[in-house]
Amino acid sequence: MALLEVSGLSVSYGRVAALSDVSLTVNEGEVVTVLGANGAGKSTLLKAILGAVPAKAGGITFADADITRLPPHRRMAAGVVLVPEGRRILITLTVEENLRLGAHMRRDTAAVEREMAAIYDRFPNLAERRHMAASCLSGGEQQMLAIGRAMMAKPRLMMLDEPSLGLSPLFVSKLFDLIRELNTEGLSVLLVEQNTGKALKAAHSATVLELGRVAMAGAPDVLAADPRLQDAYLGGGSAAH
Amino acid sequence: MLAQQIVNGLMLGAIYMLVAVAFTLAIGVLNFLNFSLPGLFMVGGMLAFGLMKAGWPFLIAAAGALAAAAFVSLLVERFAYRPMQGGDPEVPLVSSLGFLVLLENLMLIQYGSDQQAFPALLPDLNIRLGGLVIGIAQLISLALSLGLVAFLSWYLSSTAGGRRIRTVAENRETALLMGIDISRLVPQLFIASALLAALAGILFAVNYQQVSPFMGEGVGFKGVAAMIVGGMGSIWGAVLGGLVIGLAEVLSISFIGADVVNISVYGLLLLILIVRPQGLMGRAASREKL
Repeated sequence: MALLEVSGLSVSYGRVAALSDVSLTVNEGEVVTVLGANGAGKSTLLKAILGAVPAKAGGITFADADITRLPPHRRMAAGVVLVPEGRRILITLTVEENLRLGAHMRRDTAAVEREMAAIYDRFPNLAERRHMAASCLSGGEQQMLAIGRAMMAKPRLMMLDEPSLGLSPLFVSKLFDLIRELNTEGLSVLLVEQNTGKALKAAHSATVLELGRVAMAGAPDVLAADPRLQDAYLGGGSAAH
Repeated sequence: MLAQQIVNGLMLGAIYMLVAVAFTLAIGVLNFLNFSLPGLFMVGGMLAFGLMKAGWPFLIAAAGALAAAAFVSLLVERFAYRPMQGGDPEVPLVSSLGFLVLLENLMLIQYGSDQQAFPALLPDLNIRLGGLVIGIAQLISLALSLGLVAFLSWYLSSTAGGRRIRTVAENRETALLMGIDISRLVPQLFIASALLAALAGILFAVNYQQVSPFMGEGVGFKGVAAMIVGGMGSIWGAVLGGLVIGLAEVLSISFIGADVVNISVYGLLLLILIVRPQGLMGRAASREKL
């Protein structure tokens, strides 16, 4: 069943078209990855789905409701959340305040406390530093915090924008394990990645953007074998790195 | 004598403190030096006076003045602040100054330019402690101001609403991506700072029993000075700065003379800023806000 349905979406910054006629579906329980070079429109796509940039044409449906014209906070209330590029941890807030910020719209305080305890169980490093300024975390820990913060919103769809950027190989592996884990627990994921090989392995389906348009879309193993994708992003045949 | 002057200085300081906290909210979160706030201070005092003159009891007149100030602040947000978003931060500063002039002149048309006598509310109620005379009205004002600021500080540090405000203060774009409804939060902040400024104006009127259309200017400057001396963007810095300025003003009037009060007050501020350029409670080269 389709959870998110983007159809014919176009976005412009001023007179510059950032996305043209992009369509994409995320089914309930799926990991979908969006690949493409820098400037292909991947971040814009996620921001448009969140509502942080307006759609010029096309439609966005989430859980059978048209959300094309809703502001970001209404979409988040419906279950869409973004882990933004560069993590965007609030450095004047403590680790715990960052987590609580993720739940700022929720009224079910008992459940929020339970989920925060679960996040601390999952990320013991965050628990140790819960009352420290978030700026004291390492890059990998900040990424965990950004994901934890997104989980606190109790999303149905988590969008991640280049989460592996700048992380050590160890943390990149941990990150993809975490994405698989969350997906197994029922969370649907829309993943924008530079790490094409790992993203294709984690995904149920993939879409490649080129200059704001869908260049290819389909099953990850089919795309991984496609010579065009191999040349462009996988360094010619080393798909398994 | 000294103890009495300290009590008086704290009372005046509490008024500066409220104005300084109002400025701090606007500059700390919105990066907006809102010069309509001295006008809203005046609207608080003048309208409370005007409504009482029209026969309203004090509490209802005060509530009416607060409501009017909140409404005017929404107009400032709509017409001075919102249209200038994305432009120079100096532009809304100037248009908010325009609101100050407008408000002053509207009051002048309605009530004239003279100083007016505000009725004494609790004239005979004093606490005598040794040689000290503390008016009940003074005491209530001081407690109300400190209580309000303590509540504000608690709200900012410990509630979901406070975390939203601090997120907007740190980074507006991140706040948007976190699903914070900025278009609702900004007017709320304008209302909060207007209520603080107008309440300060009402307390000023009650304690000094005088109002005029220009009562906001001197207090407004001292409120800005209190904010800077305390450390820009820090609430408790604004509290400290306000009290220091109130004390300095009252003490220098009684020990040096009323003629030199501005020299001694602003001289002290200059001295503090030379020794601590970041202000009393501001942190050097830090992005910490509120």
